[in-house]
Amino acid sequence: MRTQGVFAFKGASLAALIATSSLSILGFIWPFLISEKQAHPQWIFLLAAPFALLLLFTSVSNNHLDSKSIALLAVLAALIAALRPMGTGAVGIEPMWFVLILAARVFGPSFGFLLGTISMFLSAILTGGLGPWVAYQSFAAGWIGLGVALIPRTLRGRYEIAALAFYGIISAEFFGIAMDLQFWPWTLGAETQLSYVAGAPIATNAAHFISYHFLSSMAWDIPRAIFTATLIVIVGKPVLHTLRRAYTRAAFLSPIEFIERAKASEVVR
Amino acid sequence: MITFSNVSLIYPQSTHTVLEDLSFQIAEGEMVLVMGETGAGKSSLLRLVNGLVPHHTGGILAGDISVDGISTRTVKPGSLAHLVGIVGQNPINGFVTDIVEEELAFSMEALNFPPDVMRKRVEEVLDLLSLSALRNRSIATLSGGEQQRVAIGAAFVLHPKVLVLDEPTSALDPIAAEEVLSVLHRLVHDLSVTVIIAEHRLERVIQFVDRIIYIQGNGESSIGPADEILKSADLVPPIVRLARALNLRETGTSVREVRRQTEDIRNQEFIPAHVRKRHKDVAIDVKRISHSYGTKPALANVSTQINQGEIVAIMGRNGAGKSTLLHSIVGLHAPDSGEITVNGQDPTLLKGALRRKSIGYVPQEPSDLLFGTSVEEECAQADRDNQLATGSTMALLNRLVPHISHHAHPNDLSEGQRLALVLSIVLSGNPDVLVLDEPTRGLDYQAKSIFGAALKEYATQFERPVLLATHDVELVAELADRVLFLAEGEIVADGSTLDVLLSSPAFAPQVAKVMSPKPWLTVADVVDALGQEK
Repeated sequence: MRTQGVFAFKGASLAALIATSSLSILGFIWPFLISEKQAHPQWIFLLAAPFALLLLFTSVSNNHLDSKSIALLAVLAALIAALRPMGTGAVGIEPMWFVLILAARVFGPSFGFLLGTISMFLSAILTGGLGPWVAYQSFAAGWIGLGVALIPRTLRGRYEIAALAFYGIISAEFFGIAMDLQFWPWTLGAETQLSYVAGAPIATNAAHFISYHFLSSMAWDIPRAIFTATLIVIVGKPVLHTLRRAYTRAAFLSPIEFIERAKASEVVR
Repeated sequence: MITFSNVSLIYPQSTHTVLEDLSFQIAEGEMVLVMGETGAGKSSLLRLVNGLVPHHTGGILAGDISVDGISTRTVKPGSLAHLVGIVGQNPINGFVTDIVEEELAFSMEALNFPPDVMRKRVEEVLDLLSLSALRNRSIATLSGGEQQRVAIGAAFVLHPKVLVLDEPTSALDPIAAEEVLSVLHRLVHDLSVTVIIAEHRLERVIQFVDRIIYIQGNGESSIGPADEILKSADLVPPIVRLARALNLRETGTSVREVRRQTEDIRNQEFIPAHVRKRHKDVAIDVKRISHSYGTKPALANVSTQINQGEIVAIMGRNGAGKSTLLHSIVGLHAPDSGEITVNGQDPTLLKGALRRKSIGYVPQEPSDLLFGTSVEEECAQADRDNQLATGSTMALLNRLVPHISHHAHPNDLSEGQRLALVLSIVLSGNPDVLVLDEPTRGLDYQAKSIFGAALKEYATQFERPVLLATHDVELVAELADRVLFLAEGEIVADGSTLDVLLSSPAFAPQVAKVMSPKPWLTVADVVDALGQEK
């Protein structure tokens, strides 16, 4: 027997993760898939994502989380949620991503996913910016946490920091694209050259989107990427060290054995 | 109520057994003290009772533990919550809410009690622990003793049959400690709650407990009635050392018992012991300083002088202004009015290396000074800062605590080891003045005597002053030349240790209480006086 490990998706919760993630991916990329302009099919996707998030949370909270994971999750989510609004006002400077990435690195991608979704949701409540977009932001942040799995687990030292900083750049850009995708069909009027054209070929829409993305949001994404990568380079080492110590101290997956008295002396020797 | 049968415990990644073959039974309504050196496994034993060890920490557990007939093998700690209430070392860390009433209701809320039951229980607990005057107060504004009582109340509100407390009085002044212990006494006697308590300051708890579990460092342990265990134990309160020194027939656990046996000694006449020489040169000069936090005054018109080579203890209730006075002296903040000089300098203007050389300061929370990731790194840093030969700080540390692990993270050290580390770092700078805030929290008697010897050596060898704020009257009796007694931000008594401690019943050490009206504070004083007579 062992003490419970840090949270990981498996079994039913893994199925829920895959199902809800696919649904919300559809929510992001529907503009490229819908064949013709219809009345309001988009609303279905806009509302589906929050429900998917809710479904995911309920499936996870069904006995998959033990008290230590909950405590860790709560502390880190509170920290991240508090850090996020600290940068608003300045363009794209959100000092939250580096914590998310480093925590996901130490506690694993499943934990990173939950941390991303929950902290994004929490910070939305804190800043009062609740709306359908919160579910999209949550999923995007969750995937960023999940994606840390792409970095080999054995990497340590300078290479680890370099890989994490690079991942920071990629994820900042990913978040920018995801948010633009979600807003793009709604923000511009129908008639500009960058607008979403329902039913148009994918190539046309993709070209429109890429131009839109570069024009409107590179001002946000580039500072965000630089800021995140810089923070990881500067504070990555001590933060990783602290988090790893917490991981050891929490004694995840430590063996528990109950033995008879007679055998105890053998174990000692 | 609680049965340990042949219990041994080994933590993962560890080669030695924390507890070995421990068997005992604790009956309902018993109060049991767990004592042992720092790091001997007292906290592990306490947390075995509700299954936190090994269910939360991992480990190999041999034998069986049952609480009210339920084996901790089969149930998780959460399922024992209604049966075992646990109060941690630092109550602040356990509080969830801000208001006293809410804190009491919290655990019932979590277990989904009906509102009318919660209402009733909160009232009961408020009355039982004399908290009703504090019910709407914010927890952060309470004194240490009040916080500890709220923590006990929050654990007791579920009506557990067992209460487990880890060092409930170590951060408290003697009066607050008395309050907490009398509350526990009432729970045991009126409501037959079983109480298990771990404590270093034996002199405070010993007269309340029925039995003692003594855990020696080598895994050996013994259990028995208090006076029986104390007869042979290494860790004993001053009152037992006195009984041993005087060869009394019985080892009493209360002042009253020992007083009865020592009547003849008190009735003899002795020549008063020679008075230690007074120190002349002024090192720290405090002139009429006042300080307040917002509208709350902390120090009012305090003046005093500390001389070279003098060990001065600052005593007083929690919140009397002890820490504020120390902060002013080390220059952490400038006083609102008045003036302080330390060896002729203004402490707020000192910087960098000059500061390290002028004032050595050990704060209340010693880990505030530690930033490195290992003991080794901290010591090496201190060597570099003070331009000492590599290894000097480590050598000093090894003298204070010989068995410290050099690779351990400072936060993983025991309270006593961490204090020793900070002390050796501060001493390595060879400061002109040494200032310590509440330095003996969590130290056992042995660590305390090593610590006291180090301070004494520093004061006498270099003729330099040591200033310490503390609640520990026994330490003051052993160590200090002079005592400043603060109340409400004013110095109400300033005199030799003997005069100040003897004149205050609450702050008198055990030996003084036994030997009153004779002017003896420590076992050594008594032995000296008797020796002189023969």
